[in-house]
Amino acid sequence: MKFTTITRWEFKETLKSKKFLIIFCLQLSMLFLMIFVFNAFAANIQSDNGVSLTPSLSGFASLDIDDQGHLFTKYINPSLINIQSSNYNTALQNLNNGEITGFVQVPADSLNSIKNIDTINVKLYLDYSDPKRSVISDEVNSTTNILATSISNSWIDSLIPQNTTQIVVNQQSTGQSLQIQLLTNAMLAILLFLPLFFFGNLIIDSVVGEKEKKTGEILMAMPISPSQIILGKILAVEAIIALQIVLWMIILITMGFKFANPILIYILVTITALPIIGVTTIISAYSKNYKEAGIGITLSYIAVVGVLIIPALTYLSVKPLAANISPMTMVMRILSGETIPFWQYFIPIAFILLVSIITYWISIKLFERDDIFFGPRPGLIRLFLELISFKKIKKIR
Amino acid sequence: MYSNDFIIKIDSLNKSFGKIKALDNLNLEIKRGELLGIIGPNGAGKTTAIRITSCILQPDSGNVLVDDMSIHRDQIKIKSMIGYLPEEPNLYERFKARDLLRYFAELYGVPKNRIDDRINELLKLVNMSNRADDRINTFSKGLRQRIGIARALIHDPKIIIFDEPTMGLDPATAHNIREFIRGLKGEKTIILCTHYMDEADSLCDRVAILNQGKIIDMGTPEYLKSKIHGDIILELKVENPNNIDANLIKDFDSVEDVYIKGNLFIISLKSKNDIKSIINVFNNDILSVNTKEPTLEDVFIHTIK
Repeated sequence: MKFTTITRWEFKETLKSKKFLIIFCLQLSMLFLMIFVFNAFAANIQSDNGVSLTPSLSGFASLDIDDQGHLFTKYINPSLINIQSSNYNTALQNLNNGEITGFVQVPADSLNSIKNIDTINVKLYLDYSDPKRSVISDEVNSTTNILATSISNSWIDSLIPQNTTQIVVNQQSTGQSLQIQLLTNAMLAILLFLPLFFFGNLIIDSVVGEKEKKTGEILMAMPISPSQIILGKILAVEAIIALQIVLWMIILITMGFKFANPILIYILVTITALPIIGVTTIISAYSKNYKEAGIGITLSYIAVVGVLIIPALTYLSVKPLAANISPMTMVMRILSGETIPFWQYFIPIAFILLVSIITYWISIKLFERDDIFFGPRPGLIRLFLELISFKKIKKIR
Repeated sequence: MYSNDFIIKIDSLNKSFGKIKALDNLNLEIKRGELLGIIGPNGAGKTTAIRITSCILQPDSGNVLVDDMSIHRDQIKIKSMIGYLPEEPNLYERFKARDLLRYFAELYGVPKNRIDDRINELLKLVNMSNRADDRINTFSKGLRQRIGIARALIHDPKIIIFDEPTMGLDPATAHNIREFIRGLKGEKTIILCTHYMDEADSLCDRVAILNQGKIIDMGTPEYLKSKIHGDIILELKVENPNNIDANLIKDFDSVEDVYIKGNLFIISLKSKNDIKSIINVFNNDILSVNTKEPTLEDVFIHTIK
């Protein structure tokens, strides 16, 4: 278990390093700046003069309507919401199955109520676990207003203003608007995952630095296997990232951000660092110098960000199960207060573990090769062919 | 059968780096407690040979047995037995000297209750006790080399491998390090790779001359000197070496060999009989004349030419 010695010393020496402490402080400053900018932006959106961030996606949310008189249906905005006619039982079943976000029930005798100047009680049922419920709520509210105004105008035109009938919608208070909720959740998720991309330089320094500073030769002469060396270095960086995430979460909570389940979110974000460190270690193990590693890591991180963010955004609109492979999706779901079935947590965790195992295995295989360390370094195509042909890569140390 | 007298046996070792053949069927045996010098020109394969012995590199073919253990099977055990000091000490710059030694002691598995004593003992040995709590990046090359030696000895290894330990050091520091190595003689098995012939001559029990990945000669310094050269070396510096016909010199009975290095003629003689006649061959071209006993450097130059 000599890798723990490497982990302990790397961790200790990194925290003692002035360079690291400066970078660490800069990162925290950036966090404060981002929070400040975000708060200003959110305040602007919430104000009357703010920009609208209402999603313009067609069929963004689904709504069942029981409206036999077609009084309500014709006024609702079909470009935003998928509307389908339904009845009470079917709609509630759909709601429970998560197939729709809301259900509007308009009384069957609504036309008579208008004629008799009676109140029309429109009922709205919402899926509280669905962050899109605010869209439905806003849209139903807006439609009732339009409808009421339309009826009122009609009566005013007929000079019988006293006949105005107000349609009443019993709606729950949703607190923040959907825009702000989405923005907050997305912002929080990004802020939480951001530190994972700040520590590439630590891995480069730890692995490529051994080549550039030629300290690796001494390390290779130690009675410790390459796999333990890599494992020791990876765990040190993981420990530093874990520490950074704790600090970030404390700052975010102090600044007024709310987390539905902070420990679960912390675990998910922290273990997401494992495959990212794995990818960075592969690049570092293969690179000759800092410059090469820097270019490789920049390119690979673009792909990693895509893998994290694209499923999360996809989940917001169409909710595919596959979107859960991204731990960011899971974190956004937790942040939105959604009730998540226990088994669904295994999707991102399994993905993280699978990618981690593969990336660590490749890193170790690369680190074992003396031709990569002492030259002449083999080309990527040759390495790839050796990998896919399962040809035994020559073990060096 | 492997003899117990030999702690290291290098057997038919081959290693190439791309198209460059660094070791070409290298065979070498090193006795317990021996101080073996390996000398050779740049690119001869000295560092490759010791890296393979230290299990840092893997050979293309062949084997090295260290205390009956193979580098192909028992790498961790072999590494535990060896203290390796590379050409550049390449220490972690941000560490303090004491912390660095502690780090490597832990990696070598030195018992925790022994670490402090061992560190103090070694710092005293390399005369660095007063700099123990200074960072490596404040040290001169000589001080780094001393800490490098302490690091290589931290686990009290049976075998110590020094790769150019005095390279680039000032004469006083180089002398101190040589004396330190001399102090380890007999107690440890030592492999010393060096460019400095004087160093090998004065320190080594045996010297192996390596060129193009092969041992081209090996023996005690005295044996090598007597084998290659006669009793006397005559060195003549001339104004214009092109005016001299080297064959005329070789015709003398006492001349064993003639080597020309720029405008310097190095002539090995069995006796002093023909010195006067040889000088006459050079006429008025001579700038200086010198006679000396053969050194390992003469052997080296003669062997690899």
